[in-house]
Amino acid sequence: MASSVILRSTLPRTFTSATGRNSLRFALQVRAASSTTQYVPGGPILKGTVNDPTEFPPPSRTHGSYHWAFERLLAASLVPMTAAAFVTSGSSYPVFDGLLGLSLVMHSHIGFDSMVVDYVHKRKFPVLGPILTWTLRSATVGVLVGVYQFNTNDIGLTELIAKVWTA
Amino acid sequence: MMSARIGLGSATRRVAFAPVIGRNQTVLRTLIPKRGVQIQSLPPSASEEILNAQRLKRPSSPHFTIYQPQLTWLGSIANRVTGGALSALLYGFSLAYLVAPDTFDSAHIVEFVAGLPDYVKYTGKVILAAPFTFHFWNGLRHLSWDMGKFLSLKGAYRAGYAALGATAISTVALVLM
Repeated sequence: MASSVILRSTLPRTFTSATGRNSLRFALQVRAASSTTQYVPGGPILKGTVNDPTEFPPPSRTHGSYHWAFERLLAASLVPMTAAAFVTSGSSYPVFDGLLGLSLVMHSHIGFDSMVVDYVHKRKFPVLGPILTWTLRSATVGVLVGVYQFNTNDIGLTELIAKVWTA
Repeated sequence: MMSARIGLGSATRRVAFAPVIGRNQTVLRTLIPKRGVQIQSLPPSASEEILNAQRLKRPSSPHFTIYQPQLTWLGSIANRVTGGALSALLYGFSLAYLVAPDTFDSAHIVEFVAGLPDYVKYTGKVILAAPFTFHFWNGLRHLSWDMGKFLSLKGAYRAGYAALGATAISTVALVLM
């Protein structure tokens, strides 16, 4: 009994100290096997132990600088488009009306998406986060179709706003 | 003193100080529990569960509510709230038109709005115009920050007050349109 306890406590130590690489691999495997913790209400469960560094997403320009520049370009281009919408009529320039509608939907989608990323990130909400992300994506597709339908079959967004405003 | 002198010292001392029960280690172990703590053998993977259980019990440090409301961060969150509200209106209307184009067509909407009393119309116009103009002007403020302008505290406040003033003026102008 006592000897088996001694054996059990010393065996891993001698095993791991024999080859340092083996001990590292052993630790990694243990961590990978046990890092399937789910979110429990009350706080985020961090991956790994206190000695593990934070995992960073792989660097990607599409999600980084290009996205940032596109966001700003889109927002800035909405300024002259809004000004033009005040002075012209959407019905006489249907392409412009469609472009404004598309830009507004893209601008809104980026705004909603950043809210989901900020407040309902999948790191903290592993179920709700992806659900909301995909709900937003499908809603945006539906909105694009709706705006297209409204601009082709009805009077278009600019004209609608103008008419409702003076109704 | 006396015993030491007559030569019996070492023998009596040995008898007096030698631990009687301590001579047999197994007997000692069964009689007195060595520690009061029970030791539980756990695999290395269990440490993370214990750590996570501890993490859940940690208190949350005070945040957000401890800060004084200031133009810097109130303007930022108001930009998000107004933009989100306007976008929700756009999404709501577009999806409603997609689902029921006969109910939410322009003729019906214009007819519905025209039938509303004047005070509802003006209130509605304020509710629509104020977020739109604020998001517009404060959006320009954000874009100017992105270009590296007004980044000082003084600049941020100046641009903030300018955005608020422009919002007030253009809201009134839009409502009276």
